[in-house]
Amino acid sequence: MKQTFNHFQFLLVLFSVFLLLPLAGCWSSHEIEEQSFGVGVAYDKGKESIAEKEFDEQGGGYTKKNLITSTYQLITPQVASSTTKQGGSQQKSYVNISETGDSPFQMLRELSLRSDTPLTSPHMKVMVISEALARAYSLEQLVDQTLRDNDFRPSCLVFISKGRASDTLESKTAGEIPAFHLYGMIDNTYRTTRILPPMPLIKLASKIQTGSSFLMQNVLSANGEIKFAGAGIIKGKTSKMIGFLNEEELDGLAWITGKGKGGLVKSFDKKTGQLIVYEIESMKSHIQPHVKGDNISFDVHIESVGRLSESWMTSGSAFNNQFLQNAQKTSEKKVKYLVTNVLEKMQTKYKVDVAGFGNQLRIKQPRTWMRVKENWDQTFSEVPINYDVKLTIKDYGASGSKK
Amino acid sequence: MIKGSESVVMINSNDRITTPQTAIIVINFILGTGILTLPRTAAEQVKTPDVWLTVILGGIVTMIAGIIMVKLSRKFPGKTFYQYSKEITGKWLSKLISLLMIGYFLLLGGFHARSLAEVTGYLLLEGTPTWAIIMPFMWISLYLIRGGINSIARLFEIIFPITVILFLLVAFMSMKIFEIDNLRPVLGSGVLPVLKGVKTTALAFTGPEIMLIILAFMKEPHKAGKAVLVGITIPIFIYVITVVMVIGALSIDGVVIRTWPTLDLIRSFELTGLIFERFDSLLLVVWIMQMFASFTINHYAASLGLSQLFQKNIHPFMYGLLPVIYLISMIPKNINDVFKLGDVIGNIALVLFGFLPLLLLIISKVKGVKYETNL
Repeated sequence: MKQTFNHFQFLLVLFSVFLLLPLAGCWSSHEIEEQSFGVGVAYDKGKESIAEKEFDEQGGGYTKKNLITSTYQLITPQVASSTTKQGGSQQKSYVNISETGDSPFQMLRELSLRSDTPLTSPHMKVMVISEALARAYSLEQLVDQTLRDNDFRPSCLVFISKGRASDTLESKTAGEIPAFHLYGMIDNTYRTTRILPPMPLIKLASKIQTGSSFLMQNVLSANGEIKFAGAGIIKGKTSKMIGFLNEEELDGLAWITGKGKGGLVKSFDKKTGQLIVYEIESMKSHIQPHVKGDNISFDVHIESVGRLSESWMTSGSAFNNQFLQNAQKTSEKKVKYLVTNVLEKMQTKYKVDVAGFGNQLRIKQPRTWMRVKENWDQTFSEVPINYDVKLTIKDYGASGSKK
Repeated sequence: MIKGSESVVMINSNDRITTPQTAIIVINFILGTGILTLPRTAAEQVKTPDVWLTVILGGIVTMIAGIIMVKLSRKFPGKTFYQYSKEITGKWLSKLISLLMIGYFLLLGGFHARSLAEVTGYLLLEGTPTWAIIMPFMWISLYLIRGGINSIARLFEIIFPITVILFLLVAFMSMKIFEIDNLRPVLGSGVLPVLKGVKTTALAFTGPEIMLIILAFMKEPHKAGKAVLVGITIPIFIYVITVVMVIGALSIDGVVIRTWPTLDLIRSFELTGLIFERFDSLLLVVWIMQMFASFTINHYAASLGLSQLFQKNIHPFMYGLLPVIYLISMIPKNINDVFKLGDVIGNIALVLFGFLPLLLLIISKVKGVKYETNL
């Protein structure tokens, strides 16, 4: 009796010990050394790389149309281990690999036929879409797979590029990872009004759903360097790109939306033609829609407080209020010009509202909005917009008067 | 109390729970799958940014239902619904209602287990089979409920503060992508859309029905009303914060196209410079604990019901229900069926716990059911 009981106890303990094994929780784990981390992706109009052409000639390939070329930026285990070693080898710390096809998801899987360390995308930081592609295809369809995927986070930032998108993921600087470079540049909004608020995938999806037109930050590349330059205009109805705003127009847009966190206004004195630069410390804008029957109009009140950061004026003293008022007026005029300029672009050239006038109408006159939202972009292009600008120069830094 | 046949399943006098524990059980029972899908389901109905108002209204509706259930149970001190219902409706009808209730708890348990498997299978344990996720979950639940209502209450007391702290932390981290414009205008299209969604949001608060059972275990049953009100108020806060944050980030149009909007909210931002950049895991920790809590109560309530119905020991029922719940969790063929099951359960709850308790309360008032007061 006692013995059998002991046997039973022994078996029970043995079984319990085996139960401890699954606690390690490595059911479907993949070693991190066998993964490449995707950190950026660029979508371009289809153009097969030399390697791909060769593969196809040798009888590789599958049924596809060469519509899209996607370029993935990877940090492979080899690269990662070589850059962490001391001695700072003068080599690239990333690998770009291109695939051409018609389904972004299939292209991603195609990489597994070319690499022993397949790409995983939980660390995707940026996605760049070329203008040519954004004009041809709806963004909604282009990003569909990434928005369904469980690894690809909706926090990935999306950009437009006027040139080839894959070029924006190249860099000449040793040790630099272009995707991180792009991702980090977004944080400079406090220094300039020419960077739009970041556009993560999830916001892009929401914007597309609302059906209103919007802007996306444009990235240019030249000679292995990149620059944020202006923004692409995405038409709400089609979610395709239809036009472009340059850097100065983005300035004007920031003044209308009041969303700028910092930046400057460069203007020239009317009398002497000498340079004056106003630095923005804060900006506020208030868009007030007015509805009378079928007529919609907008009033925009723009207010800003700042300082005189640069003045090439040879006469006058900043200790003197008259001088400051003069500088204020000059800067105000410039802001008015910027606003007029961008309004004109929106209303006459592109006939889209990307400054959120429609949004303000939705908030303040919901019933009117219900009526006009179907054709808002068209309606907006004929709407009168009045605005006034009030700048206040609080101080002028450490130097006051000249001579 | 009637002696004799009922003594087998009479509630052990030292198996009692305090008023805060009761409130916490209600809270943990309410918070479940809904927290991940509520912004979508509510926005689908309301279609204006006033979803948060609908959530508050839904909570208030549930409070009324909860108070009715408490009033009914207070008439029969020391007895659960399974035991006292026959004094109102007669033996056979009460057996039928009890069986329906047990069926409801089993369905809800299966639904929670399946939702848990769906979400963890999508985000955390890709490649792990569903059974391997659900089974350990159920076994641990079994281990807990074998200890009786006291063990359950004590574990929930540990879970609850962790949930609240981590949840608030994660929710306020998402300020980074919050846009107030997405929540405006308030009442732009009037009150009608807000009322449209009340049924949906009220069903997100299903959980006070547990009072029909646990009131019998309370040390101070006269405070049950307070417990249920607190037990619903805290989920109202958590739900409102969730809805406000999710819609503030994704906008009404954006939220209706996402399967698990709350998860998307947490996956849509990264904070650099902190110890963590991403908070999905924190949210999932909280959520899985809450799912476990909800599941445990379902399992316990169903086992207790069967044991009191057949007047047998509770343990065999606990073991016996494991495969039943597992099979229920496997019924839905795809994710749409899972959501459909959730809707069906909601409608059952509406009848069983919205209308029925009120009806029973009226009947018992009219019949003037005799009961002893020992308060």
